[in-house]
This record gives sequence, structure tokens and C-alpha cells, in this order.
Amino acid sequence: MNQERRAQWLRGVLDLCVLALLSRGESYGYELSQALRAHGLGTVQGGTLYPVLLRLQRSGLLTAHWREGGTGPARKYYRISPAGSAALRAAAIDWSAFASSVGTILREEPKR
Amino acid sequence: MNHEPWLAALTGELRRHGVGPDLTGHVVAEAATHLLDSGESPLRVFGAPETYARAVVDSLGGPDVRPPRRQPGPVRLAARGVTKRYRGRTVLDRVDLTVRAGQIAAVVGANGAGKSTFLRICAGLLSPEAGTVEVHGTLGYCPQDGGTAEFLSPDEHFVLIGAGRGLGRTAARRAGRAEAAGLEWTPPRRTQARHLSGGTRQKLNLVLARLGEPDVLLLDEPYQGFDRGTYLDFWHEVWRWRDAGKAVVVVTHLLNQLDRVDVVLDLSGERNA
Repeated sequence: MNQERRAQWLRGVLDLCVLALLSRGESYGYELSQALRAHGLGTVQGGTLYPVLLRLQRSGLLTAHWREGGTGPARKYYRISPAGSAALRAAAIDWSAFASSVGTILREEPKR
Repeated sequence: MNHEPWLAALTGELRRHGVGPDLTGHVVAEAATHLLDSGESPLRVFGAPETYARAVVDSLGGPDVRPPRRQPGPVRLAARGVTKRYRGRTVLDRVDLTVRAGQIAAVVGANGAGKSTFLRICAGLLSPEAGTVEVHGTLGYCPQDGGTAEFLSPDEHFVLIGAGRGLGRTAARRAGRAEAAGLEWTPPRRTQARHLSGGTRQKLNLVLARLGEPDVLLLDEPYQGFDRGTYLDFWHEVWRWRDAGKAVVVVTHLLNQLDRVDVVLDLSGERNA
């Protein structure tokens, strides 16, 4: 896939992807970046990911707390808040409608 | 790989951009952990320190994407006709204030307008000459100063105050630390309150008022000594409490937050000089 286009698309939906991943359980930055990669979204660098996490935290959609690792260093774990779940539900519906509109346009047969 | 120079440069850039020491510490620690986990170079993961610091600052002032506010709930605090005189001088003259669940009220007015006096009356610490105050639910009060014990550590404060609100030791400590995290503060384990900075002691004060998540919160200029980052943290916490259905009364002389509150009680005109 065209890297630049993917980055552009991702900018619009990264916060939703993060909310969705966290709706399945708490996680920390590095693990989230691995999960995004595993879902086929390529490499989302820390410089992009952490400001999004911070903004979601500031908006009250995520909560965060530090926890000592058993072996590794202390990590900042993020968890989705009730407001975050509500925002995610609403945005997921909007996204489906939007993506299906785009899909319809792209699939339309050219007029002869 | 040695990331220290990059992390030190990031620390400096965050400070330069007006990010407070606590939040700076969190951002830098989180970046350091990520670099350990990924084993990649900081320039590749985060870019130049200056660029990343700017991205962090932008995200702090980013658009507010919280869902629309819910309808306010039942009345939590009702002050009617509150009147207080000091040495023949009328400080409060028939003051009314109603705050519902899910509302923030700001109490404003010049120095000496009786803001703290009004809050102390609402907290039941002071009797008015006339008028009534009804509180429906549990109450938390954060005084302007004081409220912490010099020789106790933050955890000991949590346990002590938590006990008064029905929390066991572990629950109280956990609740205190969770609240502190909202202010980007990690309470040191063994430091006594007298060794904390003024701003940090205010954080402790605020966390104590929140223990047990009372229905009504009375906050008397609780952000004195807070740096800019913590001040923003504070307001974000207040909005979060409101969204959780709490009634919050904040005494403030800073008017730039008034568009984000639900009720304003201006005591400036209440008194004849």
C-alpha cells in the first residue's frame, strides 16, 4: 500500500483504533503499537502514538496509571473510560456509514 | 544504545514549552520505556526532541472530544439566604446557590468578598447568622491551605482520611494513588508532607478531598502553586468529576475557566465597602 496514503488515512482514525484496542483491555504504548501493526496498519511510531494517547487521556476518554513491571520497567497503562466507550460506540457507527459511502462510490460502474 | 542525551534534550524542550515537571517526568519515562521495549533509536521512534515536545504540547491543547454533557441531576447543595457578619461588617448578604449533580459552580469575587467564608459555611465549619445550607449526599472539602499533617507521608494521609470515609488501608491507598495519577502525580512512598513542595502538598490536599468519591466537592482555590500542566490536569479532573455526576464548587479568582462551568456565583457586589 502507498505509505503516504496509509499515513494520511490513519491520521483520521488512529484515535478510534486506539480506543477500540483498549476497549478489549488495558494496555501500554509499545504493546498498542505492536497490536496496530498486527492488525495490518503498519508501523505507528511513538512520536505519533503517544500524543494521541495523551490527548485521549486529557479528554477523559482514557484513564492512565503507572504500574511496576515484574521484570521490566514501570509502564503507563491506559484504560478506556465510560466516556471513551460511549465515544467509541458513536464513532464506530459514523465510521461504518462513511466507509460504506466511500465503498459505494469506488464500486460504482463507470457510465458508458 | 544510550538514549540519555535524547531523553535529556526532550526534558529540556518540554520544560521550554511550559510543560510542568510532573507531566514532563511522565512523558519522558514513557518514552524511555518504549525505547527499551522496541530497541529502536529515539530519532526513528519519536523524531527530534523539539518536534516531539511540540507534538506533546499540541496534544495538551487539542480539541475537546468529550461527548456532550448530560442533563444535571438532583440538587446536591442548596444554600439559601446565607448571611455572615464579621465585627459588624456584612461579609455575605443573603447569598443563594444551588448546585445539582453533574454541575460545576464557580464562586468568584475580589479578595475579601467572602468566598472562603461561604465555602466554610457550606462545609459546615462555620455557622451563618442567617440562612440555611442543605447537602444531599457525602461531602469532600479541600481548604485553601492546611489540611495536611506535617509528619505523615501521602500514603498515611490516604489511610487516615480514608478510614473516616469507610475505606480500608489498601483501598484507601489505592484510591489515593489513582486520584494522584489524575494529576500526573506519583506520591513518594516515605516522604513526609512537610518535605513536599507547596504545589505538591496542594495535590495531596485535593486527593484527600476526593477520597471515597463524595457527591459534593468544595474546593477552595485548590490549584495554588500548580504549574501550567498541573493546572490543566486539575480542570480536566474537575470536568471528569462533573461528567461522573458529582456536584463541584470551586472558589476561584481566575476567570478564564468560567465558560467551562455551569453556575457562577459572583460575590463581588454582595458587600458595601
